[in-house]
Amino acid sequence: MTFKPEDNDSADLDALAGEYVLGTLDAQQRHAVEQRLPHDANLQAAVERWEARLLPLNDLVPAQPPSRQLWPRIERSLNALNVPAPQAKASWWNLLPLWRGLSAAGLAATLVLGTVLLTATPSVSPPTYVVVLVAPQDQAPGWVIQASNRQHIQLIPLGITQVPTDKTLQFWTKGDGWDGPVSLGLVKPGQTLSLPLDRLPPLEPNQLFELTLEGPDGSATGKPTGPIQFIGRAVKVI
Amino acid sequence: MTIPEPLFDYEACLLACARGERQALVALYAQESARLLGVARRIARDDALAEDIVHDAFIKIWTRATSYDPQRGSARGWVFSVTRHLALNFMRDNRLEVQVSEDSELALQPLANLDGSLALDALEWRAGSERIYGCLEQLDPARRTCIVHAYVDGYTHAEIAKKLATPLGTVKAWIKRSLSALRECMG
Repeated sequence: MTFKPEDNDSADLDALAGEYVLGTLDAQQRHAVEQRLPHDANLQAAVERWEARLLPLNDLVPAQPPSRQLWPRIERSLNALNVPAPQAKASWWNLLPLWRGLSAAGLAATLVLGTVLLTATPSVSPPTYVVVLVAPQDQAPGWVIQASNRQHIQLIPLGITQVPTDKTLQFWTKGDGWDGPVSLGLVKPGQTLSLPLDRLPPLEPNQLFELTLEGPDGSATGKPTGPIQFIGRAVKVI
Repeated sequence: MTIPEPLFDYEACLLACARGERQALVALYAQESARLLGVARRIARDDALAEDIVHDAFIKIWTRATSYDPQRGSARGWVFSVTRHLALNFMRDNRLEVQVSEDSELALQPLANLDGSLALDALEWRAGSERIYGCLEQLDPARRTCIVHAYVDGYTHAEIAKKLATPLGTVKAWIKRSLSALRECMG
């Protein structure tokens, strides 16, 4: 063989390509070549030349008619490929958690609106204020407050809130400029409550409402002491 | 019935596959499935496994047809390469080394004739009028056998060494030098 020194690299490359096409490389070497191929134009060209050189040897092998099941099987696989879109990159459209979250939010909105509409029907005037009370951690809605006038509110549960047996839920409100929250009384989980605000200033936009976890008889201090379970602010509806 | 190779437009067929024309793949299957299965069967040495490989090959041909570039080789060669490498990878990945038994000795009989004597099946030699055959004939018979067994049977170096009762290092050196000689001969 008459290789000049500078041909050594290309001779090695060609030998590797030749053995790859011939089939004598082991699994590890084969995968190494296949990983290199897309990025190595020289190796790719060398492999292509060897494929072309050795291709006629396939004609030495007698043909073998496939079974009747083979084409239908291929066709089934092709059909399976075509049904769903090929694995696209994970776009927002395919994010399951996103849709779970949105559908949970949609369900919550439906419940809120449904409750508002259902309970509003008997009253002559539509609610002028609405408050959605959500859990601080995950913003899950748990209660709705609606008021058809500024002196009377209704607290409506959206589900049964789990409360430890030795605790109660206490209902509080605080308007802007108030010194602190004022108790509106104890609330049982799942209970709908109708409350006059006759001893308080009229309901105002952005007024805070919350439910805290307190001892069996409510807060002993007259101010919230336990963790906030649900919280929200009043919104004036048109 | 298959169309003589020069009359079947493999390139147009792959380009049609790339456009999603299923009929083109059907035509290719009718044209080449038996030869591809023969090639896969020879390497896999198992009928069911060979059909699995040809199944995977046609799926790959369909899904990767867009990556076929006519500038970089013949379309028919691409189809055979896809199939052969699937078969070789399967055998290597699963370490399915063939124990050279009497069965495979028997199966190798027609090719074993390459060992020197020219008493080869006349049909096979007629099919092999390409340049590679002229260059193979210039090799020492034992080395020629190494190349043919490696390519057609998918034998590893070790399997060839066993088959020819020749030391592994010798077989590796023969194959390396034979490839060099073939490249010089064929250009």
